[in-house]
Amino acid sequence: MTTTAPASVRAFVPTGSGLSFTGLLRSEWIKLRSVRSTIWSYATVVLISFGMALLMSVSIDFGDSPVPADAQATLLAQAATFGVFFGQLVVAVLGVLAISGEYSTGMIRSSLTATPRRLPMLAAKAVVLFVCTFVVGVITTVGSYLVAASVLGGKGISASLTDPDLLLPLLGGALYLALVAVFALGVGAILRSSAGGIAAALGIILLLPIVLPMIPAQWATDLMPYLLSNAGLGVFGLNAFGPESFEVWQNVLIVLGWVAVSLAGAAMLLRRRDA
Amino acid sequence: MIQAQSLTKRYGSKTAVDAVDFTVQPGRVTGFLGPNGAGKSTTMRMIVGLDRPSHGAVTVNGKQYREHKAPLREVGVLLDAKAIHTGRSAYNHLLAMAATHSIPASRVKEVIELTGLESVARKRVGGFSLGMGQRLGIAAALLGDPATLILDEPVNGLDPEGVQWVRHLVRNLAAEGRTVLLSSHLMSEMAVTADHLIVLGRGKVIADAPVAELIGAANQNTVRVRTPYAAELSALFQRADVTVTGTDIDQLVISGVTAAEIGNQAARAGIALHELTPISASLEEAYMALTQNDVEYRTGGTPGDPGAEHPAALPATDLEGSVR
Repeated sequence: MTTTAPASVRAFVPTGSGLSFTGLLRSEWIKLRSVRSTIWSYATVVLISFGMALLMSVSIDFGDSPVPADAQATLLAQAATFGVFFGQLVVAVLGVLAISGEYSTGMIRSSLTATPRRLPMLAAKAVVLFVCTFVVGVITTVGSYLVAASVLGGKGISASLTDPDLLLPLLGGALYLALVAVFALGVGAILRSSAGGIAAALGIILLLPIVLPMIPAQWATDLMPYLLSNAGLGVFGLNAFGPESFEVWQNVLIVLGWVAVSLAGAAMLLRRRDA
Repeated sequence: MIQAQSLTKRYGSKTAVDAVDFTVQPGRVTGFLGPNGAGKSTTMRMIVGLDRPSHGAVTVNGKQYREHKAPLREVGVLLDAKAIHTGRSAYNHLLAMAATHSIPASRVKEVIELTGLESVARKRVGGFSLGMGQRLGIAAALLGDPATLILDEPVNGLDPEGVQWVRHLVRNLAAEGRTVLLSSHLMSEMAVTADHLIVLGRGKVIADAPVAELIGAANQNTVRVRTPYAAELSALFQRADVTVTGTDIDQLVISGVTAAEIGNQAARAGIALHELTPISASLEEAYMALTQNDVEYRTGGTPGDPGAEHPAALPATDLEGSVR
């Protein structure tokens, strides 16, 4: 080979700041806030929840019989987190799009050349998505509580935000939304397609609890409480609407299990596959 | 400096890049040339770790790309223009890229000005023309003020003014001691932009030489001669290493001997020459001669000579096809 460098030119030496995880977090935050789908999704989550809280509190009617004090907090919590059940579908779509949008546009190649070790990029994305969705979730559930409280207060039903029977389900709703978004992020990273990722994520959240009971076998019935969305109901205090289930902390662990499997699969494939 | 050692990429049974070795030196513009499917883009993706080599390795300044602590400061890369989220503005795209390496927003503004994107920086990339997308890709590549630039078809979709701008840009970057590797299928562009060429064909390096040398090799001793005594002159050169082609009743194209030698021999034999012109092949012709056996998607006609493998010693026969 005839490859000799011209002696006159000195090789350029790069200087300046390097790659860091805080930098990646900032980058993923810029990415998340600078696409419209994020704004629309979060706005939809909040508005659906407010609407549901209003609808539910208007329709609650106990006539003249007074509601026991300890049931009032639970009732308010249910009205406030009812919208979470619908909101999870929206944040699931958002979670898938957070990564599938990069694959469909080719952006992933820019992201991965900036972060050639790859996994820190996925981790930063998951952290930013979790934190943002949790914050939006808190706004959603606490706001929905305020909506419900304004209606139910007139019907003699009230509870203080500091009441753990109320506060824990509200925070649980926000936590569940954030975890579903991260779960969907993993699904999107595994499937690398918006359509496929959304179908799979919504299928797991929405269809599995419908399809599983159709299987006439005991194991199918036994599995019901372990489904993502069924465990989720237990996290934000709507277990009355799902199959007989576990303690709240056990439900949180089940949801975390789903998230862990999804992220682990995504991480393994992200490392291995060509981009 | 980029160094590839027996770098190989297989997709199933197809070998896209076949055990290539090359070195891209700093301080000059190296052109990556080859027909479609020759493995240029795959090689570039392997350099920055997007594709994993099936075999062999490639390093940038002595390390694998992923081992660098500041990858964007080491290598700026423009891959196929659309590696950008279409729903984001150009400014936010660059800002997000810059944030990973804590590159300040002032540098984002700088590269936007440098690439002439001020007026569209706040618009969403989805509405960009190919040329604007290309400028944005170059802006992203320059973001980290990198020591090495890898640009895949940078002039694609640019207007003539833009093409000239890229040409000056890469020449200046190389003059600053940076390593510049750019691919193109526009041979004429390479001739004026690159100092050194690596020619790929079917995943193999078929030439690795300075541009001037490659053109020189193709030019080597192809001479157009006009003489009323064409038959007599052609009889003088009945040798194995010389090809004589009659192109007109009084015109010959002779490959394998210098113009001087033809003149001397003709004078000795008393043959009058009316014209004696060394034919200078363009880079394009040199390139066609090099790659005619290595084109994956051929458009029918002109089957190549199976003997043409090595550029440094281009057999005269290979040039026949390229000399009109």
